[in-house]
Amino acid sequence: MKLLKKGAEGDIFLTKHENVLAILKTRKKKQYRNQILDDKIRTGRTIRESTVMSEVKEFGVRTPLIYQVDPTDCAILMQRIKGSVVRDLSGKKLVSACREIGKITGTLHKNGIMHGDLTTSNFILSGGKIYTIDFGLSQRTTRIEDHAVDLRLFKEILNSAHVGMMKTLWSSFLSGYRSAVGPVRYGQILNHVSVIEGRGRYAQVV
Amino acid sequence: MICLGIESTAHTFSCAVVQKNKRGGKILSDVRKIYRPPEGQGIHPREASRHHIECSSEVLLECLQKANLKISDIDIISYAAGPGLGPCLRVAGVIARTVSSYYKIPIYPVNHAIGHIELGKLLTGAKDPLVLLVSGGHTMLAALKQKKWRIFGETLDTTLGQLLDQFGRSLGFASPCGKKIEELALESHNYVSLPYVVKGNDVSFSGLLSAAKRISNNQEDACYSLQETAFAMIGEATERALSFTEKKELLIVGGVSANKRLSEILTKICQRQKCKFFVSPIEYAGDCGSQIAWTGLLEATAKKGTSLKETFVRQSWRLDTVKIDY
Repeated sequence: MKLLKKGAEGDIFLTKHENVLAILKTRKKKQYRNQILDDKIRTGRTIRESTVMSEVKEFGVRTPLIYQVDPTDCAILMQRIKGSVVRDLSGKKLVSACREIGKITGTLHKNGIMHGDLTTSNFILSGGKIYTIDFGLSQRTTRIEDHAVDLRLFKEILNSAHVGMMKTLWSSFLSGYRSAVGPVRYGQILNHVSVIEGRGRYAQVV
Repeated sequence: MICLGIESTAHTFSCAVVQKNKRGGKILSDVRKIYRPPEGQGIHPREASRHHIECSSEVLLECLQKANLKISDIDIISYAAGPGLGPCLRVAGVIARTVSSYYKIPIYPVNHAIGHIELGKLLTGAKDPLVLLVSGGHTMLAALKQKKWRIFGETLDTTLGQLLDQFGRSLGFASPCGKKIEELALESHNYVSLPYVVKGNDVSFSGLLSAAKRISNNQEDACYSLQETAFAMIGEATERALSFTEKKELLIVGGVSANKRLSEILTKICQRQKCKFFVSPIEYAGDCGSQIAWTGLLEATAKKGTSLKETFVRQSWRLDTVKIDY
């Protein structure tokens, strides 16, 4: 087993499942957290991530296959998707990936699911298709507020990690999102994104 | 170069004199007077500004005496121009403009939040940190990138300081309530489940505040559970931002950085993420004139004062809109 990434939440290992390379994601105990709280967060997210990941396949969102889930150790064994994370793409590829991410986000929202951690490092481009990962913070919700939070987070990430191409990427994402949710819902959500931004500490509202 | 810095964004009125030389900076004096609202109540902006006005000349005089300087020894003046409470902000603004125009000393408006960060860097020696700013006015994670402090996570509603103060006040404690809550929390290990809301790199405390108030019949348990939940949320947001920015230093500044439990959590996170941890000294964690004076000195290395016409105060002034030229 090889450690691929030590993330903020879980460690990602490359391992084997029935002689095929697979990914093991574990959420280790965090000593600094109260144990009851820690158990609740880790178990809850592990179960949610694995169920939502399978569920979204129904409406055509590509995700890794789940092989096994261990709720006690908070570990998920899943299919390995070969490819590059969208964060590392550039130019035209990045722009079209953002449109695709917009479409995926819209599809999730239309079916009552928010991703909860919409960043460019949670999408993998593999064989011309985009796969979505990391559903640990996802929620079943149809509230405008929750869907708008997804969009705001993506915008924030573009603003910090992709400052140079921010405008192009954001409008590309929005066109994809609009095509999935339709113009009426799109207008409502986008309007609410500004509402949330205005709530920010010391934001210029006037 | 010697700078007189004036701070009055919220409950603290403070004047400080800081000297900058080639190596760094030295605080020559830092005098404060703090407005205390009645128990169970928050800051009343008008009352706070009245307090600031009334003690201003005494604080200014004492600060010069302690530094053993005359007003003619001062090279530049800086004041906290925002963000903060309007009536309070205007006190520092008026005093700075008056002294500046009467004695012909160059004047610099300074962002209060950047003041916290810069003074923290000066006093701890952190070079290129991810900064966690936690106070009554701010809860955010920021790092310098392309000449601006960029936000990598923040609260979507109330701040950590407000959360603690508003909860404490609902129990009738005197503001600021952080210390009292910390003491009570030490007497319990009974965790009551409370809403834990992390949205990406951002946190939201408003639901937690309402829920904590509902369980406050046992004060110790409530304080313990509130701290554990809120600090774990901050911890997770910090860990996400560290992993995303790949910074090797974490600096915590602002009033809430005095909390030992929060420091303990962040220390462990830094061990896990293999980065250095810096805490600004308790004496200078809260609002003070030194943070304003030092930032003024840094600004003076890049520009030559501001004309009086431009010396407004701004209640809303996000730190990510300020261009850093020094």
